[in-house]
Amino acid sequence: MNEKKLQRLFAAARKDAAPLPPDGFVPADFVADVLRQVRNEPAVGQPVPATIFDQLNALFPRLALAAAAVIILCIAADFGLTSAGLPELGDGAAQLSSQFDLNGDGL
Amino acid sequence: MSDDAELLQRIRAGAVDEFAELVRRHQSRVFAILHRYERDAQRVEDLAQETFLKAWRALGQFDARAPFEHWVSRIAVRTALDHLRREKKHRGDIGFDDLGEDALDWLQHGDDKSELDSRSAAEILNLALSRLSPADRIVITMQELDGRSVKEIAAALGVSGIAVRVRAVRARAKLRRALEQLAPEGK
Repeated sequence: MNEKKLQRLFAAARKDAAPLPPDGFVPADFVADVLRQVRNEPAVGQPVPATIFDQLNALFPRLALAAAAVIILCIAADFGLTSAGLPELGDGAAQLSSQFDLNGDGL
Repeated sequence: MSDDAELLQRIRAGAVDEFAELVRRHQSRVFAILHRYERDAQRVEDLAQETFLKAWRALGQFDARAPFEHWVSRIAVRTALDHLRREKKHRGDIGFDDLGEDALDWLQHGDDKSELDSRSAAEILNLALSRLSPADRIVITMQELDGRSVKEIAAALGVSGIAVRVRAVRARAKLRRALEQLAPEGK
């Protein structure tokens, strides 16, 4: 089927169903039926409380950025302190651990 | 008479009955959209009810950045899409035996200048479109029959404009193939 014939088909079909039919197209009791159903529904404007997962999902980009910022800050601080001649965080932990072991009364 | 925004404010404040006025204002448009995808009057009414019920449930999320009419139209299109998907599962392929003589004659012997009445054209298109996927069918119907822009279709389906353009080209090719198959089958 060539393009012109296809266009002719579309043009003829467009005339078949007008985009906005007259009001008589809608059943008379339609509004009442909708309203009846709506009355059985919860009130509008009161959003369903989000689950913890929904909230985490919503916060995801911010939480991920915050976590990345904390990691970068820690690395930078560790690097800065080491360059300044101060003991690394790992050294401090090792020292504490060895003191704890030697004391014997740590437990 | 108050506009949609005022009505919505009152509905949110608890005036449930005001929703009836909102339905009254937009029912013709919703019925017209659904009528493009379903010809059975009772089913169209059921789908229209489903559309307004969905609108009611989502009313808390409507931020009034776009007119209410556009928003409810989008819900109608998505309801139609869901309906076509359900139908496709249950109905499978449709044959072309139901085509009228005029429609068959035009398909088999007509050229681009031959006369075609609107009823026959709709018959042919409905049968050919039923062979397409629901999303392809929606894109073709909105673009070619409703005269909607790519932007409007993209907003209704919740996809990008590029996705709509790509789908439209492919859907058109599939429709052409379906129409070409139609003539020999009708013999």
